[in-house]
Parts: sequence; C-alpha cells; structure tokens
Amino acid sequence: MNLERLQTLLGPENVSTAVEDKIVYSRDASRLEGECLAVAWPSQAEQVAALVEWARAEDVDLAPRGAGTGLCGGATPQRSVVVDLSRLTHTGPVEVEQRRVQVGAGVVLGGLNRRLAKEGLFLPVIPGSHRAASIGGMIATDAAGLRAVRYGTMRAWIEAITLVDGMGRLHHLTGDALDDAVGREGVTGFIVEATVRLAPLPAQRTVSLLAFDDEASLLAQRDKWLADPSTGSGQAPRLTALEYLNRHAAAAIGWEARPHLLAEFDSAGGEINDPARIADLWCARDGLYPVLARSGHPVIEDPQVEGEGLASLLAWLETQEIPAFGHLGLGIVHPCFRPGDDRITSLYDQVAGWGGRVSGEHGIGLKKKPWVGAAFRAEIRQLKETYDPQNVINRGKLC
Amino acid sequence: MLNEPIDNAPCIECGLCREVCPIFTILRREHVSPRGLAILADRGIASAVFYQCTLCRACRVVCPVGHDPAGEQVRARVVAQGVETEANRTMIANIRQYGNPFGPLKEGEIPKTLTCC
Repeated sequence: MNLERLQTLLGPENVSTAVEDKIVYSRDASRLEGECLAVAWPSQAEQVAALVEWARAEDVDLAPRGAGTGLCGGATPQRSVVVDLSRLTHTGPVEVEQRRVQVGAGVVLGGLNRRLAKEGLFLPVIPGSHRAASIGGMIATDAAGLRAVRYGTMRAWIEAITLVDGMGRLHHLTGDALDDAVGREGVTGFIVEATVRLAPLPAQRTVSLLAFDDEASLLAQRDKWLADPSTGSGQAPRLTALEYLNRHAAAAIGWEARPHLLAEFDSAGGEINDPARIADLWCARDGLYPVLARSGHPVIEDPQVEGEGLASLLAWLETQEIPAFGHLGLGIVHPCFRPGDDRITSLYDQVAGWGGRVSGEHGIGLKKKPWVGAAFRAEIRQLKETYDPQNVINRGKLC
Repeated sequence: MLNEPIDNAPCIECGLCREVCPIFTILRREHVSPRGLAILADRGIASAVFYQCTLCRACRVVCPVGHDPAGEQVRARVVAQGVETEANRTMIANIRQYGNPFGPLKEGEIPKTLTCC
C-alpha cells in the first residue's frame, strides 16, 4: 500500500497510520471492530475523488465515516483505510424562502438546527444521536427518529446529493436517483454534500402521556391517534411524535411500571401544555436509553413492524421481560439487551414472520447481514455494478 | 495521590461528547475526542495524545451515562509508563523548584507565557 502517494494527494497531515488513530477508528458506536489500515481526512470533494483513484490503483477498501454514531458497524473498517468526512463542514446560505440549505456531509445536525432556529426553521429528522450525528451519516442510514411519524425519514428532506462513486466520478443526484445513495450505507459512494429541505419550527407543542393496562389497549389508542390525531379540541392538531415505553422501560426512569404512550402535537391537541412539564417529560424520554445502558442493557436494536405483527413483537418482548421503547408511529421498536444476549438473534429470526424489517433506522452494516434477503442482495449488487464495479468502497457491508 | 472517580460508568462509545469537546471541534480527529481517549485509556495505551485534553469535563456534562474522563488519573498512569510531554515536564520542574509553573521570575515580574501541559 503506497501511503506516500496518498499523503502527497491529501497532505501528510491529513493521513495517519499512528497506532492511536488505527485503534479509535477500528470501530464505531456499534463497538463492532475491524482492521483499520490508515485514516484519511479529506476536506474537499476533489480530495475524496483523488482518494478513490488511489484506492482503485492500490485495490484497497475505503470505509466512509461520518460521526461514528452508527450502531450496526456501517463505519467499521474491514482491512480498510477509514475516510473521516467530518471535515466536510461547508454550510451554504440558508434559503429562507425556499426552505433549504446546502451542507457538507460532515455538518452536524445539532449545530445546524441551532443555526436554523434563528430563521424559524429546522431539519426535522431527529435521531437519538442528533447532537452529534452528521448529515452524511443520516442520509446514508436514512435516519428516522423521534418525529418521523410527522416528518418521515431523511429521504423526504433531501433535494440533492453530491456523490463521489467508486470510479472517482462526481454525481449530482436528484429525484428518483436519490435512492441510489439514501439508505445505502455508503456502498455506492461517498456522500460529500447535500441540499436539505427545511421545515418551519412549530409555534406550539403540547403532549399527552398515557399509561395502559396492557399493550392491546395501548395499540388501540395508537391506531386511533394515527387515524385521527384530533382530540376534540376543535382544531386539527397534528401528531409530531408517538413514543412507546414498555413497562420495564417506564419503570427504569421512575414512571409507573405500565406500558406508556407519549404523544406530541404541533398545536393544542395534547393534555399538557406547560413548557416546563413538557421539557421534563422529553428529558426523561431522552434519558431512557442512557439509563437502560447504565443498568446493563447497552445493546439497542431497531426492528420495524407494522400491522398485526407489531402486537406480536410487543407481546414477545413482554414475555421475555426485555426493556423496550420506540417510535411507535412508524412501528420502530428499540429493545435493549445485555451484551451477548442470544435473544437478539431470536428476535431478528422472527421479524420476517411478523411482516417487519430488521432495520427501522439503524441500518444493516455488518451486524444484520445474516437477515438480508435475496432480493435486497440482488439490488445492492446491481447498484455496486453501476457505481462501484471495482468494489473499493465499504466492502462487506449490507450483503 | 489521585483518587479514582467512584462508580465511574464506562464509556458506551456513543460519540455524543464529540461536539462539546473544545479540542475535537477544532482538530476533528477521533483520537482526541473524549470517546477516542476513553477507548485508548481502556486499552492502557501510553500516548502523549492524552495531553491534548484540556480537562474541562464538558464531555461529562453531556455524557448520557455520566462517564468521567478522569484525565488526571489517566495522565498519571501515562507518566508512570514513561510518556510525558516536554511542556509538562518543565511545568512540574518549575513548580517543584520555584513554586510556580512559570519558572524563575524577578520580583514583580508578570510571566509572558504559561508553560503548561
């Protein structure tokens, strides 16, 4: 591997084989580990293209990495040079009238939304890692999160993507072609820039917190809200979040040990309108995973099941006494396990039978490859043939 | 002798600390992020990179599990393993010899630079 050539292309200070770098870049938040050969920090799309040319000549795998907050090993190297895109932080002017902004892949959602708030706008896709997640990573995993029931996933908020493919070519993707990059976990190329659409910040938020005797009555209320979120206030409030906690999760944060729904509305539809009380409830909800992680359940999963299968999933988790919460508006549930719990395999083995998907928002990465179907494999192979025929970007991911 | 933090929750490597770290936000290299330092410390790596940390503990404020980076204790271990920056060595020597981190000062002299870690 000719690293001198790489250092010439990017500048010696932007390439490292230091042992410290190789260790910390050998894993992401999934803690799945692989071999990192070196780390590169490009700061322009042209440098990324040059990196790809170098990798093709050397037949070396490049592993794209955003903020490293992924939970499935999507950024874990496989004898790869890790390409840290967090220096692609260019942010264009906010186009307030058009409600859009052009951002580099390394721009962090939390910082972007703080800036946009001054204009009364925000990018409304809010994953749990919103303080640190990068826009590039959110596109690559088609992130969902707390308000997806109202705003959908990242795909709905992307107008254009600049992609450097496995041949070093720059693509300006729009329309249906966005699907070649959104949710593809970097296997079709490096997302280096995107134009994202923005939403107006809601003027008011209200919430309702309901406890139920069992999951059946909870699901009945969910269906009612999803069909018609109006609560008889005379307005037409829109549901902006519908969060679920099973009894084990509720008890972990000091709530009554019963299944709960926390619903948020963008107007006066909820029963609670005191901003301080609402902030307290969201604070408790945001603190749920950390509490579960600290109590010995740090492994968080994300099956997505709709329809009748959702009741089966929740019932199975209840039978197994597994703490779980999730974005129930979309059927995304986050069961939390102790490390090495073999019921994780059992869970994913059953998801297809429940009519669901193994990944609601975390992606496939390395972790969920065993549950990928033949049709999905064929689709990815075809995309690889188009964008990365030499297979130099994120080898071994997805399938 | 430095005391270890009591009941220090281990880092879960979520990375939420990155954007509050004053060093990471400038360098944008994972190995200087609080998460990166936690990984290196956990492996017992002796490296001068631990001196990049300002010990400000902004990371602890946002850490979802309340992990304390314990930078002072980590540095003590690193020094015991023979890794120390020249600046740190100078600062310690000045404190021992002159009672301040600046070195010899004339009466009333205000130091122009602080030799620090």
